Amino acid sequence: MELHPSFFFVFLIVVVTLNYFFSARYRPLFILLASIIFIGYLNLPSLIVVLFFSLINFYLAKNITGKKFKFLAALSLNISAIIFFNFFNSSTQGPEFEFHTAGFNIPHFIVSIGLSFYSLQNIAYITDIYFKRALPQTSILNFFLYNSFFTKVISGPIMSPNEFMAQINSNKPSSEMISSGINRFVIGLLKKMVIADGLYPAVHAIFDSSNNYNGITTLIGVYLFTIQLYFDFSGYTDMALGTAKMLGYNLKENFNLPFRSTSITEFWRRWHISLINWFTNYIYYPIVYYLRAYKKIAVFIGIAATFLVSAIWHGLNFTFLLWAFCFIIYMSFELLTKAIRTNISRRFPPLVNKLFSIFIVFNGVCFSNIFFRSESAIRAFLLMKNILSNFIPANWLSDFVAPLANGGNLMEQFNFLITLLLMSFLLLFERTINKKATALKIDILYISICVMLIMIFGVFNNTERFIYMQF
Amino acid sequence: MSNTILQNLQIVFREVFNNTTLIITPLSSAKDIPLWDSLMHITLIASIESKFKISFSFNEVMQFNNVGDIIQVIDQRLKR
Repeated sequence: MELHPSFFFVFLIVVVTLNYFFSARYRPLFILLASIIFIGYLNLPSLIVVLFFSLINFYLAKNITGKKFKFLAALSLNISAIIFFNFFNSSTQGPEFEFHTAGFNIPHFIVSIGLSFYSLQNIAYITDIYFKRALPQTSILNFFLYNSFFTKVISGPIMSPNEFMAQINSNKPSSEMISSGINRFVIGLLKKMVIADGLYPAVHAIFDSSNNYNGITTLIGVYLFTIQLYFDFSGYTDMALGTAKMLGYNLKENFNLPFRSTSITEFWRRWHISLINWFTNYIYYPIVYYLRAYKKIAVFIGIAATFLVSAIWHGLNFTFLLWAFCFIIYMSFELLTKAIRTNISRRFPPLVNKLFSIFIVFNGVCFSNIFFRSESAIRAFLLMKNILSNFIPANWLSDFVAPLANGGNLMEQFNFLITLLLMSFLLLFERTINKKATALKIDILYISICVMLIMIFGVFNNTERFIYMQF
Repeated sequence: MSNTILQNLQIVFREVFNNTTLIITPLSSAKDIPLWDSLMHITLIASIESKFKISFSFNEVMQFNNVGDIIQVIDQRLKR
């Protein structure tokens, strides 16, 4: 089933309007029904799967405190679901996930929308109850809503029960929240339709074609993938948070200016925050705690385990393992050399240090993302080889502009240039734009500019879905 | 009691951070000590457990926000 943007907009307007006028008592039930319709419309098996896992986890968690066998069984069930889902996901990528004009095709197969996201929530839920950090939920409807809330079910953000459940009964959508939600949604749409989808042809040309482009062309393509991934996923997150806000819910932030990070450790505090928080709380900290007698070694084992689990979560593919391996090396290096680097950095002005660190971190992330995006490890290594050979093209127009600008006629060059300019503008003035996107009042000028840019430069014949929907 | 714990903690902190002039207070946190990162944190926890011959629970370690929190838990443990 395809999700047509027109369906989504009508659905959104109806749900936000009705939700606003419903009494507090019926609002959660109404949003649950809306979520059921949304998921069922996209993919009926997904609806059955989300309700099934919610039901199982709800009842398993009831008497789980201190019961090791039951806890391990519940844990195994959720972990198996993620691995099973990812196995089919990675083995059926391609036709199952192709997009068509003005909408995205949801696979009709067993693939369950958002399962790997809400399964992490379920693991957090049963773990917190087992270790007496939280109490089991008493309302099954609230628990269903926690897992199936339609604005976060597709790709998160991942929230703990305590962060979400408390909002269900105190939920009160105000006109300020609706205005703020619209501001946030519009920038998300701009990020996705203008920047992420605008960069897609360049990234596709470098990563998916068998041509061996010049070094600088490949390098720019590699940089653009990381930027595309950011605009795609943060655009999705803006839309998810904006929609939730219109319904009176505050979801967790997923990004915080990640390209301004001066260390890889800092990068992971700013990129896909809700997932990293989960991995830190439920993988890294427990490992480090149980191995604490080994002191520093425990930390390195914790880092390695966290990224290896993250790789498996992203998919059973060797490229994800290599991606994780890069971050294990980066983070271990950072921890081991912190004192030396602090001493060296004292010799240089703070601004020089900062810019140099940002540059290194960005390049490190882009390097690891070659594995993340490439269809195979061989292809990834070939791209790296291309970067290092024939760096400067003989003909800039045919060897540099044409591959990146989707062909290279004047119109395509112009579109690519506009995408790059808007991308740079959004990255440079991100803080100011974020303030506009979270403002409590509608700013007509800001909304008009965003909508105008989407109408003029947005990619409407979409061939690319949200990148993170595959996980 | 808390003062004695603080003095002993200061010895551990100075050893772990290799800084003989380091002064800690109950309000000291990772923000005040530049090298107090995740790597040093676990070394610190293991060293404190060894010094006071106690064992922190996972939930306790997760709730440590500053030196005062650590003192409070050590105090409770020593009273048992």
